[in-house]
Amino acid sequence: MSPNENICHESTFQKVYTSLNKEIWRFIYYKCGDEAQADDLVQDAFIKLWQNCAKTPIEKAKSFLYTITNNAFLNEIAHKKVVLKYSKSQPDKINSESPQYILEEKEFHDKVQRAIGNLTEGQRTAFLLNRIEGKKYVEIAELLDISVKAVEKRMSQALSSLRNEIENFKA
Amino acid sequence: MEKEYILHKWLNDSATSEELEYLKTSPEYNTLIKIAVISSGLEAPESNSEANFKTITSNLINNKREVKKLIPFASLLKVAAVLALLLVGYLYISSLDTEVQTQIAEKQNILLPDNSEVIINANSAISYNKKKWSQQRELKLTGEAYFKVTKGNTFSVKTSLGIVTVLGTQFNVYSRDNLFNIECYEGLVSVAFNDTLIKLPAGSRLSIENGVLVKHDISILSFPNWTINESSFENALLSTVLQELKRQYPIKLITKFNDVNQRYTGSFSHNDLNLALKSICDPLHLAYTIEEESITIYDKESP
Repeated sequence: MSPNENICHESTFQKVYTSLNKEIWRFIYYKCGDEAQADDLVQDAFIKLWQNCAKTPIEKAKSFLYTITNNAFLNEIAHKKVVLKYSKSQPDKINSESPQYILEEKEFHDKVQRAIGNLTEGQRTAFLLNRIEGKKYVEIAELLDISVKAVEKRMSQALSSLRNEIENFKA
Repeated sequence: MEKEYILHKWLNDSATSEELEYLKTSPEYNTLIKIAVISSGLEAPESNSEANFKTITSNLINNKREVKKLIPFASLLKVAAVLALLLVGYLYISSLDTEVQTQIAEKQNILLPDNSEVIINANSAISYNKKKWSQQRELKLTGEAYFKVTKGNTFSVKTSLGIVTVLGTQFNVYSRDNLFNIECYEGLVSVAFNDTLIKLPAGSRLSIENGVLVKHDISILSFPNWTINESSFENALLSTVLQELKRQYPIKLITKFNDVNQRYTGSFSHNDLNLALKSICDPLHLAYTIEEESITIYDKESP
């Protein structure tokens, strides 16, 4: 994407869509856990991007899309339970371990998965942007329009509440 | 707190392996790391990327169609609005009356749309509607004017003192203050005054003074004298004569004579003030002095 390209050109718009649509979709999904809603909001966001194509330089498209979708959640949208699955690409390190260990690990994984669904929207979004999307705190702060300090706080809270929930399960 | 700092550092991929090892010595942080690692291995469901794009593009195409429809319509509207405005403006302006006004010492000849001729005396005005003229020959007059009307349908002159109606003739209308004079030079003129209608044949004059009607049979002339720059009077109040003098010359008049109700028969020129003053003053035994534009008229016996 060269900075001179204009989003108003259909080919450029399509390029922007291809490069960003999945990321934006996941971002919405982390927030609400509703696939249909994620579809709707992604569509809305890109339609708005097209309508504002003349005013939005291509390098601003990403933050534009995040802002639009982030703002869509300001009016507390009721959310479903976020359901995540194991990545297929995850290296299977646990193969060499004992069956007992494997079972325990599997249980642990399931607990993490479930506990994430119970995090608050703010904590979960920050946490998953960091963990799954591999974004640094600075980026997350920018995308969510909050301070780095706030991201740090959300991460700490997310991790400790995950741990609490998992350990409660154990008990 | 130090461990918390290292944890965040590690979450941002910038902790060293020593720092990580140090963090793992705490069972609490070890669990957190484990959770974090497991979370990294999760993924969101796959989005329906292509279907979404189709929805977006179909939406945009619909929007585009709307835009294409709107733009020519809007510009058409603009053009239509401007045309409508011009039309309304034209209609409004053309419906306005045409007005011709003369100043002191000024006479004007105008031709009406039907080629009727009007000569407007000094300090007078007429107004008429060009558009409606073919259906209705009607004009308003204040002051004095001489009409040579071409034959046709009824021609009316409306004044504050009465209405003069003709079919085709030459006549003069004088309507100032409370004096209403109509002189007919040709044809027949009908004069509506209060509730009465008076037919005035050629060569006669109708004079209405302060609501009192006086009919004269006079005039050997075929046109009013003022049109050849002379004002004629017959048994007119001196004040009326002096008013006319003030209309024909841009002067200030100071009157210092006793008999205000004197009557004057005669005429004065519009071209020579001295001569005009003489014509008025001599028969009435009055004298006058001229100082620049100010003229004093007084009784001869008591200067």
